[in-house]
Amino acid sequence: MSTGQKEPLQSSLRVQELIYGLRISAVMTSKVFAVSRNCTMRDVRTIMKNNSISGVPVVDSKRVVGIVTMNDLMNALEKGAMDDCVTKWMVGEVQTLAEDMPLSFAISAFGKFSFRQFPVVNKKNELVGILTFRNINHALIRELSRQLREMEQQHEHPPEPESLNLVKVYQLHRYDFENGGKASSEIKRFLKERNIPPKTVRRVAVASYELEINLVAHSIGGMLGFDINEERVKISSHDRGPGIADIDEAMTEGFSTANEWIRSQGFGAGMGLPNVKRVSDEFAIESAVGMGTMVQAVIYLNPETKNENQ
Amino acid sequence: MDLLPLTIALDAKLVCAPPGWEKINIETVFASDLMSDVLMSDRDELLLITSLSTEQSIRSAGIVGSEAVVIANNKTVTEGMIALAKEQDIALFCTRFPKYESCVRLGRVLER
Repeated sequence: MSTGQKEPLQSSLRVQELIYGLRISAVMTSKVFAVSRNCTMRDVRTIMKNNSISGVPVVDSKRVVGIVTMNDLMNALEKGAMDDCVTKWMVGEVQTLAEDMPLSFAISAFGKFSFRQFPVVNKKNELVGILTFRNINHALIRELSRQLREMEQQHEHPPEPESLNLVKVYQLHRYDFENGGKASSEIKRFLKERNIPPKTVRRVAVASYELEINLVAHSIGGMLGFDINEERVKISSHDRGPGIADIDEAMTEGFSTANEWIRSQGFGAGMGLPNVKRVSDEFAIESAVGMGTMVQAVIYLNPETKNENQ
Repeated sequence: MDLLPLTIALDAKLVCAPPGWEKINIETVFASDLMSDVLMSDRDELLLITSLSTEQSIRSAGIVGSEAVVIANNKTVTEGMIALAKEQDIALFCTRFPKYESCVRLGRVLER
C-alpha cells in the first residue's frame, strides 16, 4: 500500500476528519452578549450595533429562554415598538447545541435548520457560547493550514515503507454494500504485512468491518478514519445522520433497527456495536438525532500500552 | 485436520483456491447465514459453511481469518465473490447439500 504520496481527495478527507475531531467548545465564541427578559428591543439594537452581531440570546439565570435576531429587531422597528420587552419579540424554544458535541454535529444542524447562529450550552443547560458559520470557517482555515504544514513536513521526510504510521480516511455511502469492507481489508493487509500478531489484526478488522457495515446499512453516509502508530490503531466512524435516539438500546445485544434488506445481506442482528466494543480496548460513542453518530474504537498493538492504560 | 477430506465428505465442487489448499488446517466448522454471528466468533482455523452467497460472506470470512468457505445448497457464486476469495487467498467451494446435512457429514469426519 502506498503511504508516501497522498492524493488530493485523501487529504481533503483528512481535513474533514480533523474537523470531525473538534468539539464545539473549541470553536465557538465564548464571549456572548446576552440580555435578560426585562431588557428592551432598544437595548438589543445597541448591543447588535456596537458589537456587529446578528443575534442576541435572552437568558433567565443563565438558561436560554429565547433569541432576538436581526429579523425580530426589524419587525419591532417597523412597528415602532423599540421600548417593548424582548420577550414580546424574541423567538422562544431555541435550538441549542451542547458544548461537548463534535463540530460535525453542528455542521449538520446548520444544514438542517435555517438559523445563522446557535446558542451553546453546558451540561447544566447554561449559556456558555455562541456558534456561527464564521466560527466554523475559522476552524476550517486553521485546520487546513495545520494540515498543509504537516503535509509539507511529510514531503520533506517521507515515511519508511515498513513504518506503522498511517492516517487514512475512507468515505462510505448509504447501502453501498459492495464497497463496505474494502477499508477493513486494506487495513488488515497493512497490519499483516507489518507482522502484527494475527489475533490483534483480527480484532482491528472486526471492529472496522462492523463500523463499515453500520455506515452503509444505517447511516445516510459518512466516513471511517484510521490513525495508526506503533502503539495503537484508532478507528473513528462519523456519519451525517440520522443519529441514534437511545445509545443504551443500540448497545444492547440483539437490538436492531435493520430493515429486511439489510437482514438479507446477513447483517442486522443487533450485534454490531456490542461486537465493536467487545474487541476494542477503548470504546466511545456519541450521537444526536438529526445530526449524526460518532464512534471511536482503539485497539492497542503493544501489550504494555494496555497495562499502562488499565 | 486437512481441508481435503472435508471437501470430499461434502462432495464439494472447487470454485477457486490457492495452491496447496488441500493442506489448509481446519480446527472447527462454523455454519451460519448471519455474518454478525460469524464476526462474533473468536475461534481460529475455521471452515465457514453458509448459504448466503454474497460478497459479504467472503469478506466476513476474510475478516475472521477463515481460509475456507463452502457455499451450501449449490447457490450461485458470483464473479465478485470469486475475485474477493482470490484476493484474500480463501479456498471457495460449493456443495449441493444444505447446511444441516453438510454439518452432519463434516461432524462424522471430524469425529474419526
